[in-house]
Amino acid sequence: MTALVPLVVLVPLLGAALTLVAGRRPQPQRVIAIGALVIELVIGIVLLIHVDQVEPLVMEVGGWQAPFGIVLVVDRLAALMIVVSAIVLLAVLVFSVGQGLADGDEETPVSIYNPTYLILTTGVMIAFIAGDLFNLYVGFEILLVSSYVLITLGGTESRIRAGVTYVVVSLLSSLLFLASIAMIYGALGTVTIAQIAQRIGEIPVDVQILLHVMLLVAFGIKAAVFPLSFWLPDSYPTAPAPVTAAFAGLLTKIGVYAIIRVETVIFPGPELNPALMVLALLTMVVGALGAVAQADIKRILSFTLVSHIGYMILGVALGTVEGTAAAIFYIVHHIVVQTTLFLAAGLIEREAGSTSITRIGGLLASAPLVAALFFIPALNLGGIPPFSGFLGKLGLFQAAAQQGDALAYALIGAGALVSLLTLYALVRVWNLAFWRSADAVEGDESRLLRSVEEAPLNTSTVSGARTTPRLMTLSTAGMVAVGLALTVFAGPVYGVASRAGENLDGPGAYIQLVFPGSSEGAELE
Amino acid sequence: MLVLLALFGIAALLLAPLTRALTNRVFLVAALVPLGAFGHALVVGPGILSGGPLVERAAWVPQLQLTLDLVMDPLSWVMTLVVTGVGALVLLYCAAYFRSDSEGIGRFAATLTAFAGAMYGLVLSEDVFLLFVFWELTSVLSYLLIGHYQGRRASRGAALQALITTTLGGLVMLVGLVLLAQQAGSASIPVIIAAAPEGALTTTAIILVLVGALSKSAILPFHFWLPGAMAAPTPVSAYLHAAAMVKAGVYLIARFAPAFAETPSWREILVVLGLATMILGGWVALRQTDLKLLLAYGTVSQLGLLVVITGWGTRDAALAALALLVAHALFKSTLFLVVGIIDHGAGTRDLRALSGLGRRAPVLAAIAALALASMAGLPPLFGFVAKEAVLHALLVDALGGADLAAIAVAGVVAGSALTAAYSIRFFWGAFATKGGVDDVEDLDHVGPGFLLAPAVLAVAGLALGPLAALADAGVAPSADGLPAGVAPSAPSAPSGSGEVYHLALWHGPTLELGLSLLAILAGVAIFLAREPIARLHARVHSPVSASELYWDVVGGVDRLAVRVTSLTQRGSLPFYLGVILVVFVAGTGATLLIGSSGPGEVRLWDTPAQVAIAVIMVASAVAATRAQKRFTAVLVVGVTGFGMSALFSIMGAPDLAITQILVELVTLIAFVLVLRRLPAQLGDRHGSTRKGLRALIAVAVGATMGVIALVAAGARTEAPISLAWPELAYEIGHGRNTVNVALVDLRAWDTLGELAVVIAAATGVASLLFIRGRDDALPRPARGLVRRRVEQRLDRVREQGRPGELRNAWILAGPSLDPRNRSILLEVVVRLTFHATVVVSIYLLFAGHNLPGGGFAGGLVAGLALVGRYLAGGRYELGAAAPVGAGAVLGTGMLLAASTAAMPLMLGADALTSAFVETELPVLGHVEFVTSTIFDVGVYLVVVGLVLDVLRSLGAEVDRQADPVERAIAAAGSAPAAVSPPAAAGPQSEGRA
Repeated sequence: MTALVPLVVLVPLLGAALTLVAGRRPQPQRVIAIGALVIELVIGIVLLIHVDQVEPLVMEVGGWQAPFGIVLVVDRLAALMIVVSAIVLLAVLVFSVGQGLADGDEETPVSIYNPTYLILTTGVMIAFIAGDLFNLYVGFEILLVSSYVLITLGGTESRIRAGVTYVVVSLLSSLLFLASIAMIYGALGTVTIAQIAQRIGEIPVDVQILLHVMLLVAFGIKAAVFPLSFWLPDSYPTAPAPVTAAFAGLLTKIGVYAIIRVETVIFPGPELNPALMVLALLTMVVGALGAVAQADIKRILSFTLVSHIGYMILGVALGTVEGTAAAIFYIVHHIVVQTTLFLAAGLIEREAGSTSITRIGGLLASAPLVAALFFIPALNLGGIPPFSGFLGKLGLFQAAAQQGDALAYALIGAGALVSLLTLYALVRVWNLAFWRSADAVEGDESRLLRSVEEAPLNTSTVSGARTTPRLMTLSTAGMVAVGLALTVFAGPVYGVASRAGENLDGPGAYIQLVFPGSSEGAELE
Repeated sequence: MLVLLALFGIAALLLAPLTRALTNRVFLVAALVPLGAFGHALVVGPGILSGGPLVERAAWVPQLQLTLDLVMDPLSWVMTLVVTGVGALVLLYCAAYFRSDSEGIGRFAATLTAFAGAMYGLVLSEDVFLLFVFWELTSVLSYLLIGHYQGRRASRGAALQALITTTLGGLVMLVGLVLLAQQAGSASIPVIIAAAPEGALTTTAIILVLVGALSKSAILPFHFWLPGAMAAPTPVSAYLHAAAMVKAGVYLIARFAPAFAETPSWREILVVLGLATMILGGWVALRQTDLKLLLAYGTVSQLGLLVVITGWGTRDAALAALALLVAHALFKSTLFLVVGIIDHGAGTRDLRALSGLGRRAPVLAAIAALALASMAGLPPLFGFVAKEAVLHALLVDALGGADLAAIAVAGVVAGSALTAAYSIRFFWGAFATKGGVDDVEDLDHVGPGFLLAPAVLAVAGLALGPLAALADAGVAPSADGLPAGVAPSAPSAPSGSGEVYHLALWHGPTLELGLSLLAILAGVAIFLAREPIARLHARVHSPVSASELYWDVVGGVDRLAVRVTSLTQRGSLPFYLGVILVVFVAGTGATLLIGSSGPGEVRLWDTPAQVAIAVIMVASAVAATRAQKRFTAVLVVGVTGFGMSALFSIMGAPDLAITQILVELVTLIAFVLVLRRLPAQLGDRHGSTRKGLRALIAVAVGATMGVIALVAAGARTEAPISLAWPELAYEIGHGRNTVNVALVDLRAWDTLGELAVVIAAATGVASLLFIRGRDDALPRPARGLVRRRVEQRLDRVREQGRPGELRNAWILAGPSLDPRNRSILLEVVVRLTFHATVVVSIYLLFAGHNLPGGGFAGGLVAGLALVGRYLAGGRYELGAAAPVGAGAVLGTGMLLAASTAAMPLMLGADALTSAFVETELPVLGHVEFVTSTIFDVGVYLVVVGLVLDVLRSLGAEVDRQADPVERAIAAAGSAPAAVSPPAAAGPQSEGRA
């Protein structure tokens, strides 16, 4: 069973290699890419069941014992993330095949979309199973480069501009992360996460906090935590729809994932929790206000993405088992729903020729299926019951109420407010793009748009509407179904999240996993 | 009950498809489900009333205390009868209300049925969170129903307004429920009621819950959404806004009153807001000319009354509240349905335009009269019975000395007078024959099917009056067990002692009866004085319209959002970077300042050379920021790189130094290739503004980073793991070159990842350069044409390579170059060194395990060999030197590396485990081979692939794009395929070659 651990990374990597060798033939490319992700999903599911029911898995790569070699760890959290990511990546790939994005490139010396997409997958997976801080950095590097390639796909001016913002900010984040690793190695002489956790108590508390802050800044950029989040809405929306969908679903969550590891294993102390809670609050509120100020659906969604990162940080910042569990469930929910909505936005763009709610209308009549595929995840993101967004929010509120201090109550209030603002922003889309008839768009002076029209960066073009390939609709519908399944089977999923949260109650369990029988692990508990 | 709930859901899903076959008869099918639920409730009723509630449980998310627990106790039972009964009748009514060709009726039927299901679930939920689930579902479904006429902007706006208002309340309530469940230790309503926690937190929680209840039930200050919601089709108003959704808040208050009526401020809030709502609603109703709006404000008014009596919290009050709730559902639904019929038939709901309808439609008028009489509180209708009970419950406490009760009584009487007045106004407005108004044309649409639902509801209201004892049997069990009164001196008659109040038509000549009479008389008087009151209305215009206030708030939020967003989203990369760096400096700086740890032992340098190198690096870094030309910037940045490699070699890492130098070389070449196409000068926007601030941030970051390094290193307590590496590398990894063993064995997993980075980077370069025709928004241009042109051109190149012209053929593609661009010297050097360089690169690859070198360095050297060929001979020479695709090289390299990682797994070992083979071979002698070398070959290939790709993209492709011939071809290619090839351009410019 342990053999499956590295395969999580090797399968997409081999897939990428094969698609490169396959050259410019679209058919084998598609088969290889989709095949690799299907295998990935199966591996992920087997791992999740095994890890949840039997035991977590650890592999020391090359047989080199930790801390000298690199250790890979699949615990419940990692396995859960692998499965959700595989689902999302597969759905987005199918969507891109439908859109025709994955084909062609006859003029280029290497085929582009499929290999890069699979390399992105590799990076995601490396990050999830890394038991080594430097290896986590490698995962981030892969994500950075491959996502830059995908974000600038097609090389239009707006995409290059967005790509520059994206790549420079990401490089800065990487630089800070690398510097943090250097400092941690300087202080502790190791990069194995479990050993860092063992040794961290030996150095003075202020140095601990110093290293902690450095890591949080680096990961905070990735996760788009206020005020390190401004780059995101300027980078994501211009990319091709499926690319944005995958990014929105996954990339920021990897930052949050890293923050969870930092907060639970490396620096489990409560020193920075209040600061994180304040940042969570600001992330939520500023992000949600940003969403309200937008007229373009993709931009709205980029802001809700930032905003809801605040929910996850809130859960982590509570520093309790319940908080972590709720954050984990919320991550799973948000990966699925945010991806689904961006895919739906892709469908809207295809049907209406634009995603600006000042320009489009009548979609309920012209594309009722797209309407359903937008409405359900929109309610879900808005936290309307019975959907998973509500369940995640309920979990977070309960965890915060358990904490029971003023800051926690303020966060509950902000969480409720943000939920309302999210709903408002999305339902406004429904009112205008779906309900309002297409004829009424011209010259409509809706009160809902009065302020939005003054907002900056709300330019968008309307191109001709085209028919939507069935594959695009199908994969979006599949994602909606996954979201509904998360609602119906919330019990078992939340169960895994809860148990994952218990595993992460302090570094003891993690240290035991990597160094079985180590006394230091036991001491720290 | 769970089955019925599921049936509602399934029905909602099936109704839309069914509509295609059934058209408007689909409503008859839809009505079956609530009818079934109604029947089920009737059957189980006796059992529930005589004691045992009906309980069904199912798990959902136990971790969140969210369970599918449904309980039908007496209160739920009554609510179930109301929501399912009225629901079934309204759905029946819809079949007549909508024509068979009405737009969107499938969607409407599905939504309305789903709504009935949500209400059914709401009144049965035992778990507060489950209740909230249904609560919010009703909000969303009501949004869809109100916005049914999606083409009308008013309709859309009202729907959004209702959703936002009720969801706002809902979210506040959710927070309250979370706190309440936290305090009570359970989310189950019976447990919460039994625990009845107290304290400031509970009070807060309860008030938050009340906010939700009041917003849902359209109580001041949330009342405005209800009149707006009249944009919905009339059946929606009859169901949602009379019987069901607006009662949810009242229901919730009724649920919690037994435990929390004594919570501080509970009663005050409910009585004050309830009375204000009742009187304001009644007053505004008198002004309305639209019958539906009149009813809407009437509903607001009645909801106020309901809230007052429901929240009172005594046994008699609870009894009265439930009776009034039932009565209200019956008469108000009837009246809305009647309005629907009038609107349908007469084409207007304006009471100024309606005249003579009473004579035209006597049955309709009779139905309306029954309902109105009940609303006004006339005997012998059920409304009268209920109002008597209300007055009684409040009077008991008022006479007992409770001031609040006395105020409540006065308010209720005043409100009732207004109710009576607008009831009369409705009848007069709808049915009277008015002078000066033409009589309404005949209402031939009104068939028995249309009249059935209102008739049944109205007759039920009539029958329950005389049958008050029966109603009492149904309603009383939910009230029994509550305290008899709240006033200190109230008669503390325990329930069951024979003294308790029961619903009845006739209690004797009581004070309640007198007050009822007073209210009705006053109502008549108000109606008769309608002329002066209309003048008063005109003058006393409400200073603030709550609905306008809502729009102001929404607009304010919008403006705030725009302002905040334009503050943060500047669209400026330097701003974003600055913020990040400032956060970094602030965060770490604060920690450094507060903390007590200082730097450890500082050794400034090992050799003075380091200082010199550092000075050079710093100087060139500063110079890079001040460079005016791109090329200068690239060069000085290169200097920092070479400085780095010098540091590496001083520190005893020759591999790193070699690799770093090679990387710098390749980077420099790539830059030079790119710079050919860019303006030489850097643009103005680089560094022109706020230079000082930027310099400050830069220095601060650098300084902070330096201090952190010192502090972190100073805190070290344990030896770093790398001290063990050389020994591990030799003993286990069989390599004396620790760096190489680390790369291909110890930390090969990292290298594997970095290979992926390299491949992605190579792909990215290609992606950005080969963008012709790749925009997915455009149709592909005539590709065949492009290819033909290229081939023609290549043929020409081959012709020029005829033996007769081979004089200067040091390299293959030399003749293809413009003679003016050729350098024979370069061609000769490349010719002589190419193969040697490739051999060196292979040597580096294999020697790397024990000596400086390795796959990375080897690959770069091989790449440099290719660079030489390209520089000397251009893109055709490159093609000749590397006839394979870059993708294939990259892919093969990665396949080798990844397979090396995967192979051990099949043998049961950990990934990337290396094997050591030692053997004596003839000729070669003793040979040692470590399988990690195969991995290194993969590295080598990937690096070669990267360089090849960079050359093809930044070199060859840029050449091609700049080539006038190719431009002409591209222009032809992007034009429609039908255009004839521009034959002229090619040969002419080709002639130079």
